[in-house]
Amino acid sequence: MTATPLGFGTGMTTSNEFQKRLERAREASQRLVKAIGQVIVGQDEVVEQALWGLVAGGHVLLEGAPGLGKTLLVRTISSCLHLQFSRIQFTPDLMPSDVTGTNILVSGADGSRHFALHKGPIFGQVILADEINRATPKTQSSLLEAMQEHACTIAGIRHAMEEPFFVLATENPIEMEGTYPLPEAQLDRFLLKVIVPSPTEDEMTEILARTTGQPMETPERVLDREEVLALRSACRDVSVAEPIMRFASRLVRASDPLTQGAPDLVKRAIRYGAGVRGAQSLVLAAKARSLLEGRANVSFADVQKVAKPVLRHRLIRSFEGEADGVTTDQVVDALVESVPARSENVEQAIRR
Amino acid sequence: MAKSPASAEDRAFRETFRSWAGGVRRRLGLERLLTGAAIGLVLGAGAAGAAWQTRHGALRPWMAAAGLVGAAAGAFVARRRRWDDAEVALYLDGRLDGKEAIVTAVELDRQDERDDPARAVVISQATEVLKKASRKDARPRFVRAWHVAIPLGIAAIGYMTLLPLPPAPKAAAPPPGKEQVKIAEIRGLEKIIDLANTNARDDAQRKRLDKLAEDAKKLRDKLKDGMEKREAQAELGRLKDAITAEKLSLGDGEERQGLESALGKLATNPDLKDAAKALGDRDLVSFDEQMEALANKLEKEDRDRAKQTLEEAAEAARKAKAPDVAKALEEQKKRLDEKGKKNERLKELGEALGDGLSDDAKEALKDFESGKGSAKEQQKLAEKLEDALGKLTPEQRKKLAENMKKQASKMTGEEPQGEGPSKEQLKELAEQLATPEGQKQLEEELKKMAEDPPAGGEGSEEGERQKKLDEAEGGAGEAEGQMGTPMPVPTPGPGGKPGQGGQKGQGDKPGKGDKPGSGKGEKGGGKDEGQPFAGHSEGGGPGDHKGQTGVVDGPGMKARASGPIGKGKPMPGIVLGRTTGRAGETANMQGTGALGQAAPGEVGAIERSDVPEEYREQVGRYFQPK
Repeated sequence: MTATPLGFGTGMTTSNEFQKRLERAREASQRLVKAIGQVIVGQDEVVEQALWGLVAGGHVLLEGAPGLGKTLLVRTISSCLHLQFSRIQFTPDLMPSDVTGTNILVSGADGSRHFALHKGPIFGQVILADEINRATPKTQSSLLEAMQEHACTIAGIRHAMEEPFFVLATENPIEMEGTYPLPEAQLDRFLLKVIVPSPTEDEMTEILARTTGQPMETPERVLDREEVLALRSACRDVSVAEPIMRFASRLVRASDPLTQGAPDLVKRAIRYGAGVRGAQSLVLAAKARSLLEGRANVSFADVQKVAKPVLRHRLIRSFEGEADGVTTDQVVDALVESVPARSENVEQAIRR
Repeated sequence: MAKSPASAEDRAFRETFRSWAGGVRRRLGLERLLTGAAIGLVLGAGAAGAAWQTRHGALRPWMAAAGLVGAAAGAFVARRRRWDDAEVALYLDGRLDGKEAIVTAVELDRQDERDDPARAVVISQATEVLKKASRKDARPRFVRAWHVAIPLGIAAIGYMTLLPLPPAPKAAAPPPGKEQVKIAEIRGLEKIIDLANTNARDDAQRKRLDKLAEDAKKLRDKLKDGMEKREAQAELGRLKDAITAEKLSLGDGEERQGLESALGKLATNPDLKDAAKALGDRDLVSFDEQMEALANKLEKEDRDRAKQTLEEAAEAARKAKAPDVAKALEEQKKRLDEKGKKNERLKELGEALGDGLSDDAKEALKDFESGKGSAKEQQKLAEKLEDALGKLTPEQRKKLAENMKKQASKMTGEEPQGEGPSKEQLKELAEQLATPEGQKQLEEELKKMAEDPPAGGEGSEEGERQKKLDEAEGGAGEAEGQMGTPMPVPTPGPGGKPGQGGQKGQGDKPGKGDKPGSGKGEKGGGKDEGQPFAGHSEGGGPGDHKGQTGVVDGPGMKARASGPIGKGKPMPGIVLGRTTGRAGETANMQGTGALGQAAPGEVGAIERSDVPEEYREQVGRYFQPK
């Protein structure tokens, strides 16, 4: 059993211990949210969803128009965590080795020369892949191994990433000229795709007030590496009942237009639905949400809540769906609405 | 993995959850039970309504048991579909906002995964949720909107139970005549049975009459035991037909030609015109009466002529191979002769008594001589003469005898006939009156004549037989009356009956009349139209003359417009096609062949047809089977 600064550890079985872990997790997440809130105005949902990714150990793709604070959010999160931060600005001429690093010839003190690995920015703990869709697919794919396996192979040598490894990518849905949309395989590696909305009037006013005066102080680091790992461990320990896992399965299966009982909108607007990785992500994200709320079990509401950020980038629209302007968010809404959480007789008994 | 002992938290959760789950399950079971009862009572109410409708009154209250059956079925279904713990937990989570802590706890508790780090917390949270919640918050409503059918169903069954049963539907009317008829004593049939005691013309008739009597006996016995009305009517109809056929049997068949020949001869004597008509009508009773009247009425000379005519007619009949007709005519001749003699004697005595008669006796003698000459006048005169004779003193008697002798001696014996008694007659009377014994004998003779003739003792043999047959026929009518109204006969469609045009000649086409007797049928287009003795032919070919009536020795057959046919018969029925419809028999009976031949079942058909009465006898004779 490994002890952690926050008292978290694997293998704790007593009620009090896990209760404490839950409380600490909630307290830690509150601290993190509070610290982020010192810099980021509004965007509560975006922050919350980014935290789901962090707690669940998944990567997050942030999509939003330029200037909405995506990069700032990632920088703030990284600055709040006592972790190694890397930033990769994706451009069309960015090469894979620019991401992963390469072996270079170096001279030793004794005058001898040898190849030494020059690690790229991927070897960080919190990676900001800014404007990821501006790089070529070849460069984008250099992230694949690291994201999926938390390891990187350079010149035949596999290099493990230091945990926690967390990629936060941003992309711009406009200015599509000269961009390379992420392939489905790579999109699937992201646990969540978070849409960054425009700020409200109040939020905008607050942003103006904060950013047009003296530069603000950098937020303090509220979570260190161990605490993040403990959070991730606690997340994995959250219980999920079978009916809830079945619900998640039904939800994901219903996103496949070939499945019997799929909603009409799915059949019409979707070409490919989410796969097994989508279902796994759904449960993991739900666990993260329940953990951040201080619960030891996942509820149907958790699954329904995380469905949109988990599934929206895993659904591939059909031509008809694209032509009709059906968004994947609309499809996920239809799925949540049409797939019952409980059996019909139980639902009826609850309603009456 | 061995189960580790349950912790206090685990036990607390289990107890709490079991308690909650029991409540939920009970209410859900109760809901199903009530639903079953509601369905059962609705069905029971429907069944009670059906029982009421079908008049099964005793079953109605038992329909309430359908509610119990429904409730039992509901309980059975509730048992079969009893929620498991996961379903109850999901329900409780949904109602108590447990965020699925209860269902997760139930699952963790069932799996007994003690090393699950979240297990204790989840169970603790679930217990907390259950303990904080009020029971009311998680009570499934067991009363549903459709449970209102329970009181309604009970009320409906109660109402249907108390509601008086509807009137019994009218049973389908049995086919006409299907009903049973049972008559202990049927007097009319006795008259037919009595035909066994009637003298027969010959052995064949004897057999026929015996068979009639036998059939009547059988029918009587059957009616005593009870039989179908239509069958009885059919039997009676057959008996009537047979009696009618028997009545008309004189001069029928082979003898018909002889009868017609005899009629032709009789028609030559104007005095015998009425008698000929009666014979032609086969009304032998009337024939007897006519002959008796003639015997009383005619003078000796006319009587002799009549006897001559009768003899000739009998001869003609004999020649035409009608021995029965000839025999009947000879019998009539004999009766005429005897009757004439008797009348002459009465007249002689009356005239001989002369002034010795009272006024009444003179009046009676006058009436008798005036030619009224009926049996009544004859009796009256005989009575008066007997009185007058009895009142004579011996001197008066002697004097009368002497006077009569004197008168006889004065007579030359060549006095014209019809003007008083002859010389021999006067002598004979005088001799008879001369002695007291003779007078007594004469008185006895007169007394006998004054008495009513004994029933059946005066008519001819044929006449007496016919009387019996008439009585038997009347008896059959009485029997029919005793059985009730005759069965209706289906009305045929238009054009189904022969019209009048077909009766006049031998038209082939039936009339178009809708009502019996009112149709004006198209005249037949056959070449024999209007020729009463022509045989039937169709299609204009030479045809077959088999069955054609032979040449009649006389002026020919003529219709008798005043023929008293169908005396005492019921109203003519409706004729379907060529024969009548009759209870218990098929109406589809057809004649067996050409004109003049008919099936036995068609005997009497004319009587019931719409042929005008005055033509029936003639038409009937054409269709008599040979």
